[in-house]
Amino acid sequence: MTARAALKGRIEAQIARFEAGQRVDARVRDELIEDLAAWQATRIPEYGRLQRHGTWPPALPTDVFRFRRIAAHPEAEDLRVFRSSGTTSSERSVHVYRDLSLYDFAARAAARHMLFPDVDKMRLVMLAPHEDEARDSSLEYMLARFAEWFGTECTWVWRHGALDIELLAKQLRDAEASGQPVAVLGTSFAFVHAEDGLRDRRFELPPGSRIMQTGGYKGRSREVDRGVLLEAIHARYGVAAPRIINEFGATELSSQLYDTTLREHIYGSAGPRRLWVPPWVRATPVDPDTLHPVEGESVGILRIDDTANLDSVCCIQTADLARRLDDGIVVLGRASGATPRGCSLAADQALGAQ
Amino acid sequence: MTDDGPAVRARAASVFEAGQVLSTSTLAERALWLSDAASTLARQADGERDALSEATGLSIPMVEWATRTTLETITDNAMLALAQNARQGVDRALDPIGLLSVVLAGNVFTASVRGIVVPLLFGVPVLVKASSRETLFPAMLRNALRSTDSRLGAAMDVVAFPGGDAEAEAALVELAEAVSVYGSDETIEAIAARLASTPLIAHGHGVSVAYCGSHAVRGAHLGDTISELSLDICAYDQRGCLSPQLVFVEEAPDLSAMDFAERLAKEGLEPLSRTLPRGPLPVSVGAAQAQWRGIAEVEGTLFRGDTYSVSVREPQPIRWSPGFRNITVAGVRGLDEALQAMQPIGSNLKCVGTDSASMPELQARLTESPTLSAYACKTGTMQTPALDAPADAHPIWHALFRN
Repeated sequence: MTARAALKGRIEAQIARFEAGQRVDARVRDELIEDLAAWQATRIPEYGRLQRHGTWPPALPTDVFRFRRIAAHPEAEDLRVFRSSGTTSSERSVHVYRDLSLYDFAARAAARHMLFPDVDKMRLVMLAPHEDEARDSSLEYMLARFAEWFGTECTWVWRHGALDIELLAKQLRDAEASGQPVAVLGTSFAFVHAEDGLRDRRFELPPGSRIMQTGGYKGRSREVDRGVLLEAIHARYGVAAPRIINEFGATELSSQLYDTTLREHIYGSAGPRRLWVPPWVRATPVDPDTLHPVEGESVGILRIDDTANLDSVCCIQTADLARRLDDGIVVLGRASGATPRGCSLAADQALGAQ
Repeated sequence: MTDDGPAVRARAASVFEAGQVLSTSTLAERALWLSDAASTLARQADGERDALSEATGLSIPMVEWATRTTLETITDNAMLALAQNARQGVDRALDPIGLLSVVLAGNVFTASVRGIVVPLLFGVPVLVKASSRETLFPAMLRNALRSTDSRLGAAMDVVAFPGGDAEAEAALVELAEAVSVYGSDETIEAIAARLASTPLIAHGHGVSVAYCGSHAVRGAHLGDTISELSLDICAYDQRGCLSPQLVFVEEAPDLSAMDFAERLAKEGLEPLSRTLPRGPLPVSVGAAQAQWRGIAEVEGTLFRGDTYSVSVREPQPIRWSPGFRNITVAGVRGLDEALQAMQPIGSNLKCVGTDSASMPELQARLTESPTLSAYACKTGTMQTPALDAPADAHPIWHALFRN
């Protein structure tokens, strides 16, 4: 058995234990992260150059995915290439895969647990393009798999680069009329377009319905505060606020984090809105100078060690601000645009000059 | 401290009236008063260094350095010389405006000094809108002026209100004959939208760089160059628009950009991290720092300490540092290549620090450049501009006189 195959087996075993309802030991996960990082450092020169700070393996900054191909396999073996949104190549992260089975395994397990814990399949409405229209988007890939795994039927209402408002309205009216719950999934900017396009049309989606929004705006719609958008979606679709959840994903990651409120609402518990971290993932706010974990609920920059990133780099340093809350994480948003540096160029503008 | 629209309006009227009284004094009197006020402020700042450190996010030694180097430029002789230059530069009888409103940014707390002292020198009263992040130093300056002379003190006041307070913004500018704005492009646009024909002096987004020619990196000069450059980088924790974000180094057979970067880190930034420590790193900047340093480390070009780092890059394309003592070094063959790399920065380039030997040619090339409006200054002085140094391609007295 190759080293890769052995590592892959250990990753799959973690996820399988979770799917089987068994506890995944954090120490086992941490050992796996160490071994994965060590293997990746020998195969990915860029990662191998990073120095360890503290006890954990070094974390690769997400920006590196914009400039370098980060992979433990040769380019000829690329099966799929995902790119983040952006208008120029230097703004787009690139994450290559030689094998999507781990991605699928992790995505299905997490979504089953947090988004569809109470139903096998249900009707889906996607405020996003079909993957055929966006072959390089990991989100569209994931939503297409959701349609296969969790959808009784699925309608894609973002077509040819725009939201089909009338099709969306029809799907929502049909759901109301049928009394069958529906899951509406899409990007935050698509929900903003829907807010603008639906005008005074409001809906009362059947009990059991749920909404998942994800991602930022990146200039693709007006920007709306997260709380304001949550309230607007609640008022527009007639879905209780706890059943409207945020998914946190990134092109550089193979696993996703979900708001806890839907699952807690379904099972009758209640807690603060926070992101659930899959047990095969370690999400940690770290101090920006030392890169060591911050104490308690202090704000740090979010490091994510995603064991499902087998063929790239497991340990990822994001630019998102985050803090721990109870057993989860609260992501406070991307930091660079808010840099209070007076007359110096803001970091995003500066980096944009490359 | 927060002022509403009526309060701002009342203070503007009061300052405007005080300006008419101030104008009856002589320029020599005002120069003397301002010099005395600067001395008073220096003593006050020394007593308030803990509070200033907390308000500005700079370490106490950095606060002390900043106040000392700024206020020691405010001498009566320097102001009289500046006035003389202004008379020659304006080429007509000086007719001071009735009120200047100044909007301050919070990144370099002493930046307010020149912007307030120079108008007062010419008898122009000043209404200051302090940064929401830093109101202490402008208030201390006001108090120092008041304790020096009642006419001078009455001609300057400080207001504070949140950005976006339309009534307060309108009140700030309605009596002003010119408005000087330090801050983001968004802040400048917001104020500009409130002005009809009133001149706006914009001190917007900007960056600075340094150029070290062959003379500066040769033999015994190298040590001085590294010391001077390190001070420019560390001053105000590299938060200001006069802070170098990028250093062009003319490479020599015995000194590569990598060599220079390593020496800059070890012999320049490391010692200063102890004598002029960096302040706490805001987590928002830290996020950018982690990305910036990580890329440099991946490229194998990072020299880092606990509170500084140096990255080596090609001159183009520029990868801007997040500030806070993270600097890029780029090797060049000479001034031509450095200037070529500066071109994309355009009017955002404020200052180019350089060595004495390179200064004449650099200044000449900047002057004749159709795209760059930066000025050149000696390394080691980038963050301590002379009282009469230009600001954003204009003389410091720009817009203080009626046509």
